[in-house]
Amino acid sequence: MTRRALALLAAALAGSLAAAVPVLGHENRPGFLEMEEKSPGVYAFLWKAPSDGETEIHIAPVLPPGCALATPDGQQLTTSAILVRGTLHCEGGLAGRTIAIEGLESTATDVLVRVRHSDGRLESHLVGPASPSVTLGGSTTVSQRAASYLKLGVEHILMGIDHLLFVLGLLLIVSDRWMLVKTITSFTIAHSLTLAVATLGFASAPLPPLNAAIALSILFLGPEIVRVWRGETSFTIRHPWVVAFAFGLLHGFGFASGMTALGLPKAEIPLALLLFNVGVEIGQVFFVAVILLLERSFRTLEIRWPRWVEALPGYAVGSLGAYWTIQRTVMLFSEAR
Amino acid sequence: MRTRVPPAGTLAFFAALLISARADAHLVTTGLGPVYDGIGHLLLTPEDLVPILALALYAGLRGARAGRLALFVLPLSWMLGGLLALGLGGAISAPVPALSFILIGLLVAIDVRLPDGAVATLAGSLGLIHGFLNGPALAGAGPGALGLLGIAAVAFVLVALASALVVSLKAPAARIAVRVAGSWIAAIGLLLLGWTLRTRGV
Repeated sequence: MTRRALALLAAALAGSLAAAVPVLGHENRPGFLEMEEKSPGVYAFLWKAPSDGETEIHIAPVLPPGCALATPDGQQLTTSAILVRGTLHCEGGLAGRTIAIEGLESTATDVLVRVRHSDGRLESHLVGPASPSVTLGGSTTVSQRAASYLKLGVEHILMGIDHLLFVLGLLLIVSDRWMLVKTITSFTIAHSLTLAVATLGFASAPLPPLNAAIALSILFLGPEIVRVWRGETSFTIRHPWVVAFAFGLLHGFGFASGMTALGLPKAEIPLALLLFNVGVEIGQVFFVAVILLLERSFRTLEIRWPRWVEALPGYAVGSLGAYWTIQRTVMLFSEAR
Repeated sequence: MRTRVPPAGTLAFFAALLISARADAHLVTTGLGPVYDGIGHLLLTPEDLVPILALALYAGLRGARAGRLALFVLPLSWMLGGLLALGLGGAISAPVPALSFILIGLLVAIDVRLPDGAVATLAGSLGLIHGFLNGPALAGAGPGALGLLGIAAVAFVLVALASALVVSLKAPAARIAVRVAGSWIAAIGLLLLGWTLRTRGV
């Protein structure tokens, strides 16, 4: 297939995506529901639904029968979430009652449900689209909570197609195993830094421009991949780890959105941050391993790909990066107006 | 890596992305909801997962060419079967998963030397029938045709990894280990068949 045909294919890819404007955004921040028992049957209620991303998700808790919620302040809108605070009255307490999250089944996000009982028991559940309700009443150990944060981290990267695409782009650029290790390590260090900085509240990045910048980082890799095929060189091709580090700082802020949306209590943040980051790394290593093992498998099975098929991933990285950059920039300016 | 790109895996990846963009009912956040549903469906359904792995082992035992054929025929036929089921409805009442376990498990265990064309036919039949069986799970509130894409992508990856692993095994003991795995699959199939017949009151 000629280069012109490939360009047409890439254009078709981008065009098809353009027909589905908001749906491909990376917006899988979890929701957060906290109920702290102040006196028997009376709970301080906090609901946080992620907001101000590229796509609004409409989720809300459905309270058990016999419970009444008073929200004197109504609903508040922060830069990244819709907040509802109030007082929940449940005759006989929440034990044995089921709380569901309406709308969750039609999303790809999770909600962390935490209940602090008056006797000191802490209950924490991660509910997702597959099982959007939970029956309360038990207690959750530290290891169970740690597993929840780990799962959040793994899910965040594996469902964050833009992060994966960036890593794929890096894999297409690096020339040898040692460079691959250096590049992936520097990406990991960089995003871990900003993930920690943002989660601990030392810095933050507004989501719309951040998402546009992340899209730009993917677009940036497209031409570099083409240069590699042509046998040309560039700073990125010679030192991909530097680029991985620089853009990794941006992606770390993106990962942090999955944590900061929770608004966890300070005492819980070190555990959550550590396990969430470990989860992200596990997901990233898994993705890289699958790609490398696939590459090895194709060689073992002696598959000879046509030239145009080999070129397609690079064109796809560039095209999707371009599409997302344009889409997110347009959204950024339309929101600013 | 730079000189040896894994294009087909990423192709499937991008195809999933591209096609999923149209199903905005389920794609509120990542755009890959139904595709992820399909991936999850296959990985959490041993009745589908084990026959795929068994076929990959068998194709690997038969060599690189058989592995290549299975790699492309199985996901495509699975999609075709699934689309047929979505279009036509209906289901198969025979205990297909158990029979798949037994048949392919025995082929692996005995290391039957079928020609490559027969391996491709086996892969095609397996994909068509199991894809058709997926129909009811995919239809209605299920992930639909996009879920099939996720299933086919995972099947592609699993067959590539498992068959290549077996092809690369040179030590006779390692090949025997693969055949032992086949015998276990066949044995599980027998148990599954017995259980299925018992629950049906046959």
